[in-house]
Amino acid sequence: MEEIYRKKGVKIREHLNEQYIEVSRKDFKDSCAYLYEKKHSVLRLMFATDERRIDNSFRIYTVFSIPGIDRFFIIVLSLKDDDFTFPSITTEIPAAHWYEREIRDMFGLIPKGHPDLRRLILHDSFPANSYPLRKDWSITETDLREWGEGVKQKEPYNFMEVEGEGIYEIPVGPVHAGIIEPGHFRFSAVGETIVFLEPRLFYTHKGTEKHFEGMSFFDGIKLAERVSGTSSFSHSVAYCMAVERIAGIEITEKAKGVRTLLLEIERLYNHIGDIGNMCAGTGLAVGYAKGAVLKENLMQLNDRLTGSRYLRGINVIGGVTKDVFLQADAILSTVNDVTHGYKDSMRLLLGSASHIERLENTGGLSKDIAQKLGVTGVAARASGINDDIRKAHPHLLYDRLEFESHTMTKGDVFARMMVRAEEAECSISMINALLENRYEGELSVEVMEIPEYSSAIGYAETPRGSVFYWVMSDNEGRPFRVKLRSPSYCNWPAVPFAGQGNIVPDFPLCNKSFNLSYSGCDM
Amino acid sequence: MLKEIIKNIITKKKVITFPEGFNISPEEAAKIVSFQEKIDRAFSRSLRIRQVDAGSCNACEWECTALTNPIYDIQRFGIDFVASPRHADVLLVTGPVSRQMELALRKTYLATPEPRLVIACGDCTIDGGVYRGSYAVSNGVANVVPVDCYISGCPPTPIAIIKGLMELMKKISG
Ligand code: SF4
Repeated sequence: MEEIYRKKGVKIREHLNEQYIEVSRKDFKDSCAYLYEKKHSVLRLMFATDERRIDNSFRIYTVFSIPGIDRFFIIVLSLKDDDFTFPSITTEIPAAHWYEREIRDMFGLIPKGHPDLRRLILHDSFPANSYPLRKDWSITETDLREWGEGVKQKEPYNFMEVEGEGIYEIPVGPVHAGIIEPGHFRFSAVGETIVFLEPRLFYTHKGTEKHFEGMSFFDGIKLAERVSGTSSFSHSVAYCMAVERIAGIEITEKAKGVRTLLLEIERLYNHIGDIGNMCAGTGLAVGYAKGAVLKENLMQLNDRLTGSRYLRGINVIGGVTKDVFLQADAILSTVNDVTHGYKDSMRLLLGSASHIERLENTGGLSKDIAQKLGVTGVAARASGINDDIRKAHPHLLYDRLEFESHTMTKGDVFARMMVRAEEAECSISMINALLENRYEGELSVEVMEIPEYSSAIGYAETPRGSVFYWVMSDNEGRPFRVKLRSPSYCNWPAVPFAGQGNIVPDFPLCNKSFNLSYSGCDM
Repeated sequence: MLKEIIKNIITKKKVITFPEGFNISPEEAAKIVSFQEKIDRAFSRSLRIRQVDAGSCNACEWECTALTNPIYDIQRFGIDFVASPRHADVLLVTGPVSRQMELALRKTYLATPEPRLVIACGDCTIDGGVYRGSYAVSNGVANVVPVDCYISGCPPTPIAIIKGLMELMKKISG
């Protein structure tokens, strides 16, 4: 770090475990590259803000964390004087590629030197030179309608083409055959083998980040819960945490206990459901059915505990609304039953040679590519990257719980299933451990005041990987900017790499093994 | 078990047993039986649904998927989710309709053969729900394609979706 600090014009600001390091335009690239190459840090998220109202500048924030250190290093670059460009760091840090394209789409700030400046989030018929996250942006009714109808291409989008003898294209989607979310995939194949795959996502883009700005901090929870259905609870934990950190509140033991417990229940129902779901990809109907029943049992437990099958309505800023520990017996008995059923179904799956053979060596993702693309969660751990926010940046009660973050090396579909299986068992033992203790304190503490123009990061480990919220307040006690980064956003770019070289019919299985959320990614 | 089966064969009694976890009262169970009869009559025992995600948060899709699990097992009523709109009697749309899905939803609607019924499933299909007013959504399915029936809830539980389908059947077959 010293190397960065020694440079001229560096301003440093500290807030809890966040260190903001403001650098000049010419040092920006070097500072990021230094953290990435010399310190082996991980790019957690990157985003821009429109702070022209405050001091006439746009800012680019790049958030890194160094393995083994519970601290976020945030390199900040201010763009003043109407120079709407910034140096791209994609060639040094490939994981930045989508973030920079996103910044271009939403703010009109151009990453100079980025190898691919096509639009990412906004589709072709969205008006050109129109940047939704700028504070002074608005759109006419006609433009909105034309965008929706998709009649005119206002900024062309060219798919990458693979040329050669015998290569043909298979376009799929956005509306798929199953009950899943929309996205477009373009396979270039030779015979059955995938040579290249280009996904086009963001069909479900709902303008969530901009929408946050029009809501109060409190209402924002409802929106955070609806970014990605099956990670509702983790998203709201991360969002509330960010706001609580701005306001400087420490939540009570009890609230921490409830949040940790429900995070693990959310992980459990997802992992068990996902393992079952993979069987749908291999045609093992009995495995699929068993997984679905176990998942349903847990969903009904959620309903009994919180009144919502997706654990919504529990988090508030400053704590939680319900003491689920009062129903400890119900949790224990359901989790016990599910554990039995789950072990039973794992024995069945692992004993089924036809199932396992489809999983092994399918959809392999190498550690190198996973690292370069900044892959997170189950997918990262299956490829041998030991990264888990619960360990890397301990929060809630995770520093007191005993658990391991499991990794595998091969990065294939089988590895991703096994990582899930081990984590599910880990969650079961954590749930049991949490229920053995008593937690003191009120359910929630009152939020007095939210300081103006301050910001903080909130984070959690969803069943898919890490989720981040960066929230900044304005001078009226409302959100000024909310940046959310779901795990699916990091992992989607890795899916084409995992698909390459596989046959097209294996792609659904490969896709299921990642089980990414389109809505979470598209925001 | 065997005795039960033989008895049922002899008395020709139609029993619909609801598995554990399908939490429904006896009166509602009776309604579901009559609902099935309507499907049998109006759609020759098979009601085919095509689910279209028009920008949902994915919770509504998971509830539709749950309908096919062994507990709710919607196939036993003659209802199934199909892979193409061309095979469907009903479109079940979720989500507030994001602008970038609007065109795809329209095209799917046009690809569906008559009677081309549309069920809008979930609060955000009614008026946009939490997303109402965002630049990137069109505040409800009815702004894009005609809707025959709404199911409220965020997300509606699987049982609520079944009840919604019952409503639709009531509407079209009396
Ligand atoms: S109704 Fe609720 S659960 Fe369903 S898609 Fe909309 S926000 Fe998600």
